[in-house]
Amino acid sequence: MIIKRPSIFIYTHEADPAVLKEVCAGIEEEGVFYDTTEMPDECMEKLAYKAARDSMLGSGVGIFGTAVCLKMRGLEKGRNIESYLTPSRAQCRNIGANSARAIKKLPFKEEYRS
Amino acid sequence: MSYIAGVDIGNSTTEVCVGEVTDRGNVTFLTSASCPTTGTKGTIENVYSVKNALKLAMSRIGRETSDIDLVRLNEAAPVIGDTAMETLTETVITDSSMIGHNPSTPAGAGQAVGEILLIENISRAVSGTAYILAASSEHSYEEVAAVVNQHNEIDIVGIILQADEAVLVENRIHKEIPIIDEVRRIDRLPDGVPAAIEVALPGQTIRMLSNPYGIATLLGLTADETRTITPIAKSLIGKRSAVVLKTPGGNIHENVLPAGEIYFYGDKNVTISLDEGAEKIMAAAEDAGDIRDISGQPDTNVGNMLSRIRTGMSELDKSDEADIRITDILAVDTLAPVLISGALAGETCLEKAVGIAAMVKTQKLPMQEIASRLVTELGTDVKVAGVEAVMASLGALTTPGTKLPLAILDMGGGSTDAAIIDENGNVNLTHQAGAGELVSMLIQTELGLSDRHIAEEIKKYPLAKVESLFHMRMENGQMTFVDESIDPRFFGRVVLLTENGLIRIEEEIPMEKIVQVRREAKRKVFVTNAFRALKKVAPDHNLRNISTVVLVGGSAEDFEIPEMLMEAFTDYRIVCGRGNIRGTEGPRNAVATGLVLSYIGEMEG
Repeated sequence: MIIKRPSIFIYTHEADPAVLKEVCAGIEEEGVFYDTTEMPDECMEKLAYKAARDSMLGSGVGIFGTAVCLKMRGLEKGRNIESYLTPSRAQCRNIGANSARAIKKLPFKEEYRS
Repeated sequence: MSYIAGVDIGNSTTEVCVGEVTDRGNVTFLTSASCPTTGTKGTIENVYSVKNALKLAMSRIGRETSDIDLVRLNEAAPVIGDTAMETLTETVITDSSMIGHNPSTPAGAGQAVGEILLIENISRAVSGTAYILAASSEHSYEEVAAVVNQHNEIDIVGIILQADEAVLVENRIHKEIPIIDEVRRIDRLPDGVPAAIEVALPGQTIRMLSNPYGIATLLGLTADETRTITPIAKSLIGKRSAVVLKTPGGNIHENVLPAGEIYFYGDKNVTISLDEGAEKIMAAAEDAGDIRDISGQPDTNVGNMLSRIRTGMSELDKSDEADIRITDILAVDTLAPVLISGALAGETCLEKAVGIAAMVKTQKLPMQEIASRLVTELGTDVKVAGVEAVMASLGALTTPGTKLPLAILDMGGGSTDAAIIDENGNVNLTHQAGAGELVSMLIQTELGLSDRHIAEEIKKYPLAKVESLFHMRMENGQMTFVDESIDPRFFGRVVLLTENGLIRIEEEIPMEKIVQVRREAKRKVFVTNAFRALKKVAPDHNLRNISTVVLVGGSAEDFEIPEMLMEAFTDYRIVCGRGNIRGTEGPRNAVATGLVLSYIGEMEG
């Protein structure tokens, strides 16, 4: 039996390293665990959908290249919490933070204040 | 057969109803409507809202306003309510000397004392001195962590960050120290000044820096210095993290603002200072007996406020014999979170304040002018008819289960009015300052809301917390599930459940706190005023001589005020409840209905 700690899943496909790093930093600052897995799908929404479905916490991020998308389990197709095609650093950090805040049941941050 | 319209112009709402009257004096009510009053009650601007409301009502039965044969206007009571808030204390920081806020994710725990060291000046540090490192958001978490790890010889005991990166830094450094982040005005931190920082344990609030002796212990203060630092400790209570600086000239003080005195001229002349608090002010008002006029000490806040209300009224009644007097005030104690001037992270401090509603009386409002303007604009007959309170009672009597003698409590936006009608039709009435608008103002100030509009909404609607995208918890603990996912903008927030969907409350205030403030504000204003008003009109000023009270007016529609009053009146064995005008309208439309009914009376007479 494999025991996994509860974590946010990040499913990636050829993810931009800078984007991935900022997303992870956003989650880390909120104090939640995350797991990154490379997947064959070439669609940020599909990646995010699967990540949210598979995550025990029900929160998932999909990254395809620079495109990044945040979803929660149960959310209908075509409805994302937040998504960007070419996000800024702050927006990546924001997505990471919000994926964690979704689990903590805290309001989402609308812009990252630095 | 003719269409008769009753129009009631109130402080905040204009209400109309239209009835069909046969030649034999039978009336059938056809339609009613209400809309916000334009301009101050009793001014010519009211014409717009009257026209609007009539149009709305007539469109509901597929007719035009020109089909109306007669419009009957209320002889509005010549009283206007106004509200104002005065803070009695004020906290001022000279020379930045503290930061106390609630960053969502500070890191580490405990307290530390050291000299502030800006990260740019790291080369100036010497070993043997304890430092608190401060970094602006230009320095990334990796940079900050690298600097800390590299300079192992320097004794860094705490870190202050501008960016939201405390946990990220903590995870990358080799020591365990308190780290505070999200300090917006970090540029104002003076380099080289002794400081104490504290981060509370998870689930707790700070203990050392919210205690004057704690600060004295950490910064080594003398007894005199400890006294001056007490307001700092007070304003840091309940925070999760804090920084206190020991700047030589820096200080924080609590000023007591000169609030001024209120003069009551009545059976007895009484003077009371505003900073005595609401209870003393209201006791003074009672002492004064029948109040002829109230004024404030010139050139003080309260003096200016009372004279402003008076000037506002004199613009309505421009005649020379205008006799404008303030005949009642309602004072309510409150606490207002006020932004501390000179604060570094947008800190607020709870300041003592008094909310006041005042009631201005003149001889007569220029209703006739409004009437003649309506005649030209609508092309129908318009008549000013009947005293407001009598009309309201007539309307209230259409509530199933009522009979004379009857007391009505008309809770509107600007004033709380009470009237008692006995079997012979004798009316005893009073107008009291303070109603819905004062409640909104109290909610706004106590919660520190940016605008009045959202306070109005909080007053009107119950709250819920959106706990997931598919369910929310109501303020009574009940859970509601939805089929389609809730908009993420509402996630984790406290929202208002209105008939047009959810409204988000921007400020991060716990739901319990909002509920408590809302209920307390309503209680302070309406329960106090209901007793005050009914005592004035009751036979022998004894509440036990009243048997039935019908609640009418906009605030009677509220989802909790009628229940609060019912509870309060149980001791007096009074039958009290929300009116249901004509058995269909609820507590609204009493005056408008009364105006149409009185037409029949006049026909017969």
